[in-house]
Amino acid sequence: MRTSGLSVAAGVLIALAGPALTDTPILTVTGQVADAPVELTERDLKALPQHRLATSTTVTDGTPVFEGFLMRDLLAQVGAEGEAVVALALNDYRIEIPLTDFQDFDVIGAMTMDGEPLSPRDKGPVWIVYPRDDHSELQDIRYDTRWVWQLVSLHVQ
Amino acid sequence: MSTLANAPPRGGLSIYAPFLPLLVVCLGPLIFALAKTSALERDMRIAATENMLWVVTQTQMEVLSLTLETGRNPPEPGQIDRQYDLTLSRLNLLLEGPQARYLAQLGHDDPVRGFLDDFLALDPQVQGHDAALHDALHALGERVHPRINRIANDVMTHEWERSATRLDAYRSTQRLVIMAVSFAFLAALAISALLLRNQNRLHRAEVQRLRAATLLERERGTSAMYRDFAAMVSHQMRTPLSLIDSAMHRLARRGEAITAADVAERQGIVRDAVRRLTRLVETVLMLGRLDNDQLQRTLAPVALDALAADVVKRMRSQFPGREIKLSATATGLAALGDPHLVEHILDNLLSNALKYSAPDKSVELRLFPQGGRVACAVTDQGPGIAAEDRARVFDRYYRGRDQRDGQGTGLGLALARELAEAQNGSVTLDSWPGRGSVFTLWLERAQGGAE
Repeated sequence: MRTSGLSVAAGVLIALAGPALTDTPILTVTGQVADAPVELTERDLKALPQHRLATSTTVTDGTPVFEGFLMRDLLAQVGAEGEAVVALALNDYRIEIPLTDFQDFDVIGAMTMDGEPLSPRDKGPVWIVYPRDDHSELQDIRYDTRWVWQLVSLHVQ
Repeated sequence: MSTLANAPPRGGLSIYAPFLPLLVVCLGPLIFALAKTSALERDMRIAATENMLWVVTQTQMEVLSLTLETGRNPPEPGQIDRQYDLTLSRLNLLLEGPQARYLAQLGHDDPVRGFLDDFLALDPQVQGHDAALHDALHALGERVHPRINRIANDVMTHEWERSATRLDAYRSTQRLVIMAVSFAFLAALAISALLLRNQNRLHRAEVQRLRAATLLERERGTSAMYRDFAAMVSHQMRTPLSLIDSAMHRLARRGEAITAADVAERQGIVRDAVRRLTRLVETVLMLGRLDNDQLQRTLAPVALDALAADVVKRMRSQFPGREIKLSATATGLAALGDPHLVEHILDNLLSNALKYSAPDKSVELRLFPQGGRVACAVTDQGPGIAAEDRARVFDRYYRGRDQRDGQGTGLGLALARELAEAQNGSVTLDSWPGRGSVFTLWLERAQGGAE
């Protein structure tokens, strides 16, 4: 059975309660970006080109369909320059992700799962999702730990 | 040839056929080992993602944090909302597919579902923040977190058991694989041994076959030789015998009218015929002795000039009217040999030279030393020997194409050469067609050898 990747804990950024207020910042990008810190609202994130991705995960059954922005589009928009990002979740879970992941794979910041908005009471509002069904090399604990849910901030370095 | 009958069949497949089952025996365990290790590899990959204990303790920690926040004075609604959401997200995670099944295995899924319902009934974002709600959340947290701790305890125990079981499985797989590979190794050794043995057998059979073929060849050669011998003997004996017979008949027919000259003439013919027969018998006997390695010979210094003079003298008496010269470039020449055999060779070479050259042509025997050897060269002024015949004139029963219908046993030169070789010497030939030939007997020179 697959019960892994659960270490990828998560958090809501600003102690947000209830349905997200679209103009409240939910994701902060710091570090080597054009104008740090960049605070992004749900509206900002929805304005990025949206990408659909159907994939199995280590913590759910079946192959849910995720929708959200491509991580590389986000980082391009904020003018990120560096080697890696440190992703931070609500509960202080942190992990370093090489930027090459976002070039090599269509990694998305998912905001909906099977059409339902991801809630902070689940794994939302943003969950980093890898196309693990399309690339067998992604079916590995070293990638599973990068599936950060309840994403709060990204620090580019 | 029983050896031929014993030779094994030489089909390509039949040599390797016995190894097919062995090959299977060898490959089977290897395939088994491969399957086992790849199953192990898959199992290890899944095993690496096990992390239930972490999820459960994280849930416990979020519940504890919520309990702390709701007990704080004054309360901070924002922090309580945040902890409340985190607590719900952890409980939701525990109740999702794989995690829920794990908990069900341990009988903990229903209690966790109960905790989620209890927390959802106290939603501050629905009911609004007030002291009573905070107290209720606080009390719920205090009740729930020890029970989640208990779940963590069970999960940990379960995990250790699973790990131990898995290690057992790995160990038994490892043992099986080691056994399979050892077995395959032994099978490979057996195959090699069998292959080697078969190859040896094949090799021996081949050697036997070759030996049999050689024997057969030799036998054929022997029987051909006897055929040639019989043909030669019947011809060579019949001729002198019929000469004797007809001479005697003529004498008998003349009766009283016979003259002394007639008798002398017939006598000459008969003696010549008898001499030829004697030589033939002598030659055949000597060859027989050579073949059976029974030739008596004592090698000692032989005074060649005396011996040559004897031979030439005898030849002159046998061939009256023929000019036979004798010369030597040195006196007291001696060779290492058997006087009887040397005499036979020179006899042979000289009568050969006389036979194959015209009666008015002279024959010469010259003695001279060369290096460590002594030569006895017999020169005739006959027709010479064609180049293509020269290599074969020393073969038994071989006669030059011009002499095939004439006299000659085809044995004289062969015997001469074989006798020379029996004395560590040789007989060589130089020939100039139309002008004549030189047959030379070479022997080792004996120093100071003189009688």
